[in-house]
Amino acid sequence: MLSREPVLQEISPDLFTLAGYDQEAAERTGYSDYSYWGATLGKFLQSKTAVVALIVLGVLLIFTVIQPYLPGQRDPNVINLNQETFRQLRNVRPGADFWFGTNSIGQDLWARVWRGTRTSLMIALLVATWNVTLGIIVGAIWGYVRRLDRVLTEIYNVLDNIPTTIVMTLLAYMLRPSISTMIIAMCALGWVSVSRFVRTQVIIIRDREYNLASRCLGTPTHRIITKNVLPYLVSVIMLRFALAVPMAIGSEVFLTYIGLGLPLQIPSLGNLINEGRQIMMIPAMRYQLIFPAIMVSLITISFYIIGNAFSDAADPRNHT
Amino acid sequence: MSRETILELQNLSVEFRTRKSRQPFLAVDDVSFQLMRGETFGLVGESGSGKTTIGRTIVRINEATHGQVYFKGRRINGVIPAALDSEVTRRIQMIFQDPMASLNERAKVDYIVSEGLYNTRAYNDEAERQGKVEAALRAVGLLPEFASRFPHEFSGGQRQRIGVARALIMEPEIIIADEPISALDVSIRAQILNLLAALQQDKGLTYIFIAHDLSVVRFITDRVAVLSKGKIVELAETEELFSYPLHPYTQTLLSAVPLPNPVVQRKRRPLIYDPSQHDYTVDKPRWAEVRPGHFLWGSEPELDTWVAMG
Amino acid sequence: MAETLLSVRNVVIKFSLRGRVLTAIREASLDVQEGQTLAIVGESGSGKSVLTKSFVGMLDANGWVDSGSIMFEGEDLATFKSAKQWSRIRGKKIAMVFQDPMTALNPLRTVGKQIEETVTLHQQLTGHSAKQRTLELLADVGIDNPGDRYYQYPHEFSGGMRQRVVIAIAMSCQPRLLICDEPTTALDVTIQAQILELIRRLQEQHKLTVIYITHDLGVVAQVADKVAVMYAGDIIECGLADEVFYNAQHPYTWALLSSLPQLGVKGQRLFSIQGTPPNLFNAVTGDAFAPRNPSALKVDYILRPPVFNISPTHYAKTWLLDPRAPQIEPPPVIRNLHQFAGGQARA
Repeated sequence: MLSREPVLQEISPDLFTLAGYDQEAAERTGYSDYSYWGATLGKFLQSKTAVVALIVLGVLLIFTVIQPYLPGQRDPNVINLNQETFRQLRNVRPGADFWFGTNSIGQDLWARVWRGTRTSLMIALLVATWNVTLGIIVGAIWGYVRRLDRVLTEIYNVLDNIPTTIVMTLLAYMLRPSISTMIIAMCALGWVSVSRFVRTQVIIIRDREYNLASRCLGTPTHRIITKNVLPYLVSVIMLRFALAVPMAIGSEVFLTYIGLGLPLQIPSLGNLINEGRQIMMIPAMRYQLIFPAIMVSLITISFYIIGNAFSDAADPRNHT
Repeated sequence: MSRETILELQNLSVEFRTRKSRQPFLAVDDVSFQLMRGETFGLVGESGSGKTTIGRTIVRINEATHGQVYFKGRRINGVIPAALDSEVTRRIQMIFQDPMASLNERAKVDYIVSEGLYNTRAYNDEAERQGKVEAALRAVGLLPEFASRFPHEFSGGQRQRIGVARALIMEPEIIIADEPISALDVSIRAQILNLLAALQQDKGLTYIFIAHDLSVVRFITDRVAVLSKGKIVELAETEELFSYPLHPYTQTLLSAVPLPNPVVQRKRRPLIYDPSQHDYTVDKPRWAEVRPGHFLWGSEPELDTWVAMG
Repeated sequence: MAETLLSVRNVVIKFSLRGRVLTAIREASLDVQEGQTLAIVGESGSGKSVLTKSFVGMLDANGWVDSGSIMFEGEDLATFKSAKQWSRIRGKKIAMVFQDPMTALNPLRTVGKQIEETVTLHQQLTGHSAKQRTLELLADVGIDNPGDRYYQYPHEFSGGMRQRVVIAIAMSCQPRLLICDEPTTALDVTIQAQILELIRRLQEQHKLTVIYITHDLGVVAQVADKVAVMYAGDIIECGLADEVFYNAQHPYTWALLSSLPQLGVKGQRLFSIQGTPPNLFNAVTGDAFAPRNPSALKVDYILRPPVFNISPTHYAKTWLLDPRAPQIEPPPVIRNLHQFAGGQARA
């Protein structure tokens, strides 16, 4: 056992009197300054790849919007003619005049790529929003309301086993090619997997004590779902949304591949990649594939990185 | 404490079915007791005894499979009119065990405490609601300014007090406290126990106190029921039960609780309880009052033996 | 005089959390003799789990032993850096049992295989002899039909039986020191009694030294030879069980004992400590318990109390033991603790 003499013999005797007890001071010691969103943001910013991806995506999005208004931009559908010979400027390699070159009928690839990105992103964002929203609504009800569980599970089993590719193909085939057809095709079954995922998450928290407390206080089901359950799912919802966007772009590219994409007058990343693919074997013209492919890659990779980084950051267990 | 019966359970049974098991699990088996206004009634048992299920069935979180629950003479289990359901929500409230899990982390304390008010529309305007929230927080020893904060900013004891405020704001007559202190630190438990006792005095509350910690039960309850595997095996006034435990299960339970006195505790040896000692094939068990206010569950020969030995 | 198995001197453990440094253990010291049972008592935030985790190198990745020594079998565990060094100690010489047996066991593997895994790893037994040893261990911890139970999964066991399995795994390499972190808190009281009895029996059979971490003073009274009371990362009182229970000197120990419901008077307020433990991100000046201590002296807010010896085996870190301090009596409810035999006082 240790034994030390009091360190300072000079401690004056009057220090050994009662200090008077302050109740306030006792209560003050228990405050924590942890903020969930603050910690989430902090954790997210710690990941350098995520920040870089965010910047890349941000720049991309801004440029997509402002590009048409910049000086010297060409219309993506105009067939550019040589001013002297009046012949089409086909397959011009990237250079000072055409930064991305031209395609096989003389359209400016730079303008087409940016216009295509805009179109594809718009479609993807609409589809992602629809799928995630519907998926959350169905999934939350499916997970929370016990009586509907059996019915919805059976419906899910049927829907899940339908090959989505075939559905998309059928729809795209039956309706005329257009932007709305593409959106409808991708929205038809895209929400099913999101609903399944949300349902699992809801089941995990459905019987936690704070939800029992709400039921005991008479809170109606819809308010329990919106105020008790969904706020806990924000991080996973954001992740699903972030992944849904590149998935939609991928679906669009795929549909275009099998001939069911947008009409050719509407530039989209799918169309561009398809056109580029057809002349892929000629090395001199590969640039027509490379530029749209890079764009798709950048968007896909950025969304994946951001989505995953955010989801990790939003998990309270990672908040140290 | 008056002799008015405010709550009565008659032959309550609660079964849980899962799709997989063939046999439904009987969590509560033919439980009956009366709750007197103003008392603190303890439900004691180990895990799987059904004590929590009883509490949750009373507040209508679980459904009763058989039997009835009467509140001031009116049946409150099963399908009941919305007005009665609303009244049950107001008059009977619950405090939960884990302060870390029983509050909605994403909501402000203001919403958490007012949740019941919103549901029953028990206020006229915003000012009145805020006034009630403030009064509830003060009643549990918290400052009104805490209303704008989130639960994670508070300690376990403070969070549990928020849970009490949430129940209190409904102006209930009965509060079911489901293990309200087992998840708290030892020195904080005393704070909450004192709070509950003070509130009972102040507002004339009646408590059902569910616990597995017998030393706490002895301190705070007036009467105790001991549960084993869904059945009440013994019921008596607290001091009577602790001084003269008659059912072997109760005796085992008491012998297993360690005393904070080293010299004495080291000499004690816990009893072992063997459930198979009860042979009810010939002599059926019954619920009998063997001493004044002291009830036992057992067959005739068993009751005779236990009373003689006790 | 039994040999000192573990000797902890002035250990400081820090954590880096959200960019700040938290001092979880502030110069704690204790000794454990071979064959002894030590109980570490404290509330959440007192550091009791952190301290014992440092004995087996299981501090979280953001924690480290800043200074001090942990002497065990002639080696200073505080200097260990690599997993290789710890692999000689952890699970072999020092084993740990945790609170929740469900999460301590792998739900996807049979119990037999899990025990065998440690037997094979640490004792280099294989095949038939490993299985034999496993069955021996299962029988040793009081599990009936070890032959059948060997093939069962954790979910087929009750809580108490699972804890027995966890203890079997811990005992598999004949450790010298067993650390039990709240081993019975999640169990029913009757099962708790059985588990405590089991550990006591194993202790006798294998000359085991045991450290219990618990907040239950009843459990402490039953099992402990020596008691260390922790508050805010420091051991503020340490002594033989009888000394700490019947002759406690630190106001925090008084407060812990006084707030026991068994000692309360029915119908009256129970003694409780106001406030919450201090935030250890900030440096502590003086006595950490001072703001919550009704009998705090002025010096408690200025200087940290040193160790005061009450007996060769009992010390406390409180200025009340200084000869210049006023005589303050412990609260009346605990003055006659040695006579307490289970009744409840009524007003």
